[in-house]
Amino acid sequence: MSSAFLWVVLPIAVGAALLLYRRKDDTPLYLSLGLSAVLTWIAWQFPIDVVLQLGSVSFEIAPTLVLLGRNFTLGETQRLLLTFIYAAQTFWLLGAFLTRPGRLFAGLSLIAVGLFMAALAVQPFLYAALLLAAAVLVWVPVLVPQGSQPGRGVQRAIVFNLFAVPFILFTGWLLTGVEATPGNFSLVLRAGLLLALGFSFLLAVFPFHTWMPMLAQESHPYVIGFLMFFLPAVSSLFLLSLIERYVWLRENPAVFQLLLAAGSLGVLLGGLWASQQRHLGRMLAFTSTLATGGLLQAIGLGDAAGLHTFFALLLPQAWVLWALAACFAVLARHTPSQQLDELGPALRQHPLLAFTSVAGLFGLAGLPLLGPFAAHLSIWSGVGQQSVALLVLSLLGSLGLLAAGLRLLHAWLGAPAPATQPGAAQARGDFANPYIWAFFIIWGVTLLGYGLLPSFLAPVGRLVLMFPQLLQ
Amino acid sequence: MSDFTGTLVVLLLLITALYLLVNQDWRWAIAALGLQYVWAFLLVIPSWPAELAVVKLVTGWIAASVLGLTRLNLPATPPATGSVPSGRVFRLLAAGLVVLLVLGAAPRLTDWSRAFGIYPAWGGLLLIGIGLMQIALRSGFFRSALGLLTLFAGFEILYAAVEASTLVTGLLAAVNLGIALVGSYLLAAPTLEAEE
Repeated sequence: MSSAFLWVVLPIAVGAALLLYRRKDDTPLYLSLGLSAVLTWIAWQFPIDVVLQLGSVSFEIAPTLVLLGRNFTLGETQRLLLTFIYAAQTFWLLGAFLTRPGRLFAGLSLIAVGLFMAALAVQPFLYAALLLAAAVLVWVPVLVPQGSQPGRGVQRAIVFNLFAVPFILFTGWLLTGVEATPGNFSLVLRAGLLLALGFSFLLAVFPFHTWMPMLAQESHPYVIGFLMFFLPAVSSLFLLSLIERYVWLRENPAVFQLLLAAGSLGVLLGGLWASQQRHLGRMLAFTSTLATGGLLQAIGLGDAAGLHTFFALLLPQAWVLWALAACFAVLARHTPSQQLDELGPALRQHPLLAFTSVAGLFGLAGLPLLGPFAAHLSIWSGVGQQSVALLVLSLLGSLGLLAAGLRLLHAWLGAPAPATQPGAAQARGDFANPYIWAFFIIWGVTLLGYGLLPSFLAPVGRLVLMFPQLLQ
Repeated sequence: MSDFTGTLVVLLLLITALYLLVNQDWRWAIAALGLQYVWAFLLVIPSWPAELAVVKLVTGWIAASVLGLTRLNLPATPPATGSVPSGRVFRLLAAGLVVLLVLGAAPRLTDWSRAFGIYPAWGGLLLIGIGLMQIALRSGFFRSALGLLTLFAGFEILYAAVEASTLVTGLLAAVNLGIALVGSYLLAAPTLEAEE
């Protein structure tokens, strides 16, 4: 059995089969959760390309699957990444029990994650652009559920994400020319320009980010949160692979300066716009813009420390974005308009979720003691050494997100207490729900634990071994 | 491909793409899209073996059929009012600019790389430009899907000159079908039974 069959073909096949299930119960969710957990466990426990003996049976997970003349390779160095991606998927499926994002979510999320993994496995890896586009197209039925009127956001999301494909595929062809004649400046310039445009569309870098807030206003917060976490995370890993692969890219300081500038702009605009939003979904979208900006900044730092920072940031960001999407989705169920000034009663009824949301926004802003702080500190220090102006932009962005958290806090604490009438049944809120308690305690302890003891997840640092050239 | 055949194919491609851009009737738009894939196929043939190139033709026809069948099952929308066809004139002028740009850019593209022949360069760039115009100037999912399919058809004509991988052909076919299916889904979504 090959790794690509296990982590790409199997989830896609099971996800497609689950779409055929017509009864309105949680069976697809349980099945996909089970599969996702098993795949996480296999990735965690079983080495790839090693013959294992279980009693009289021996088996091996081969690293390569050949399909239509091309290789899909997931080797031992990517095993930790597989664990991370499928663990993230498991948590997103767990959250679906609370947030109820729709009947198709379970099956389509398996297909989407399978396609994301295929994008990271395909050789030559530039074909990943096509697989990422396919993952976005697959996600549309959950973004726009049956019976609802699609808005302009979904249209723009599809168009912008598909625009990335031609740019990146042509870059692949140009790059072979650049490798052959590295001194050809005009060729390098063209390849660089195409590459920058392709990744700007893929990572929704300013000014190509406009689909995110529009779509977030139209779609379920949990569904949009899934897309806004997985797409930038996988795309930025794709970008790292590209920099790793081509000498002229990783040895060109202008590439890293450009990434640093684009990332800082994303952090600034994401934070400032998040502080101005009255709509929860739009706030989530701009928070995601800031998060992607942070990842770009980490890559832009350029050296091995930047790579370590990238993974140190990716993990707590994943944790926070998941929780934010889950909390916003539950709150949105009680206030369909998702407007901050109408959200008070829902926030009062769900203080644990309100607290988690505020802590999540503060965490992503880089507040000390919370998970992403150590990585933020490392980014600020690195950015500051290269450009004080970019550091100021980054800090302003973080302050903006902090202000967004304070607005949410104000909406929560400033809302009048719900009137209780004698004899009337108390509305069922957070305190009566053991699942929300469990979520709140586990999430909070983990975020705080990672913030206080960043070495807690030190083994995750091995993810950098996927990019040996960048580590040098 | 002889000069006469090449020029004729590019002209026919231009006519169908322009018709797609300016027409109002969706039935004729689907027919034009189907024809456009025939001309695109003829431009891909010099670069690829016929059995691989035919994948693009069949994929395009399936995509056009999917969109057409969905549109057929939707309630008819009233035609746009207004006697002065200012929108059409504007779109034609915009397409004229695209044609001028392509006339300048295509020869430079072939000078720069010998991978591209002049007719595929003209055809590919024309479709990319007019596809972009379609996406930018026409509203609605149906027109966006037509624009994206046109843009990808243009890109595939150019990309065929530099890449003949079976996997990429398959993936591009999947993306084209995906555009058509998603376009159809978005057109039909409001009329489908709502989920609980």
